[in-house]
Amino acid sequence: MSDEPTSQPDERMDGRVDTDGVARQRPVYTESQVIMTTVKAVIPFVMTYGLFITFHGADTPGGGFQGGAIIASVVLMIAFAFGIESTRAWLANSTVVGLGTAGVFLFGAIGFGPILLGENFLEYTAYYPVFGDLLGLKEYEFVKYGMEAVEIVGIAFIVSGILMGLFFALAAGDSHSEPNEADLREGELRDGVDSATFGGESDD
Amino acid sequence: MTSIIAPTVIQSVGITPLEVALFVFILITAVLTALFRDVLAAIVIFAAYSLGLAVVYTFYRAPDVGLTEAAIGAGVTTVFLLLTIAKTTRPPTDELFEPINWPAVAVCGLFALVVGSTLTAFPAVGDPNSPILTNPEVTGYYLENAYDETGAKNAVTSVLAAYRGFDTFGEAVVVFAAGIASLLVLGREVFTA
Repeated sequence: MSDEPTSQPDERMDGRVDTDGVARQRPVYTESQVIMTTVKAVIPFVMTYGLFITFHGADTPGGGFQGGAIIASVVLMIAFAFGIESTRAWLANSTVVGLGTAGVFLFGAIGFGPILLGENFLEYTAYYPVFGDLLGLKEYEFVKYGMEAVEIVGIAFIVSGILMGLFFALAAGDSHSEPNEADLREGELRDGVDSATFGGESDD
Repeated sequence: MTSIIAPTVIQSVGITPLEVALFVFILITAVLTALFRDVLAAIVIFAAYSLGLAVVYTFYRAPDVGLTEAAIGAGVTTVFLLLTIAKTTRPPTDELFEPINWPAVAVCGLFALVVGSTLTAFPAVGDPNSPILTNPEVTGYYLENAYDETGAKNAVTSVLAAYRGFDTFGEAVVVFAAGIASLLVLGREVFTA
């Protein structure tokens, strides 16, 4: 692609070239009927595949990590098709943070529970005397369903939540370089205060 | 993928044309990733490299690793890299390739030689007498007992979530910590609105 004449190096960008001749790429969203329709058609299948990989990880290749990544990629696709900023507004921060935090908490709870019952970390069979009659499961089944629980509510929650979060955090970028913050920082520098480098926004 | 296959079933058949094609593809994409001057082109080629790697893993009967490489390496990493160049500059250029940095090539070549010198110590792919397949204490134990002890047909899952569950807990917490660290580095308090 680079053997094209450089007279329009910013063809795929937003058409603006800064004074130094460097094409600054801005995350400009271009509404595309093709991409939106494709994503709409593909999402149900990707979501189903991600859930299958997660839930069926004990018997087939896959598991919480791979499944969680595929589920997170659904949100990434939505963001690419419908715009990162509108997806950011649609997806509540509590969902993203909740997925990650609940994952760590539930994995920890399942793992440390047996220690409270006098067994080792993640010793799933320790739950048998407590929940065996309630759930109607045999002792060896506790290992399988315990592993499934760890894969689903532990790993898949964490990975899907954090990958979504990383995507939006990366897309938003450094809060220090946002215009209003930059103005603040300039003012501070004029006053000879160099605390801006250490997180001047704490004074806000 | 059944975990209860006897290790001796796997036989080395030498290197097949498919493997040769995959390795050539991976080598070419790896070199092109380093050589392309345009960052966008390098990212796209890097995604192709990850995809080739995922196929190789699947070919060598490691579908769990292949899935991870395809989802994380080819998918999510590419998206993150694309986001990164969207936030930075992409200098226009006439050149298709980066000028070759010969000292760097020499260092990389030396490194490849050092790593390559260990290749002769490796057993052939699928060799039934290789230590990994004849070791009764670790591999043999998992392959023989994973299904009876955990009820999971995928021995990889039983190692990850049961036998080595504490490691997995640590890894999962590392992923969580990466999310927190990204917020700290970017000076933000929320991921989304």
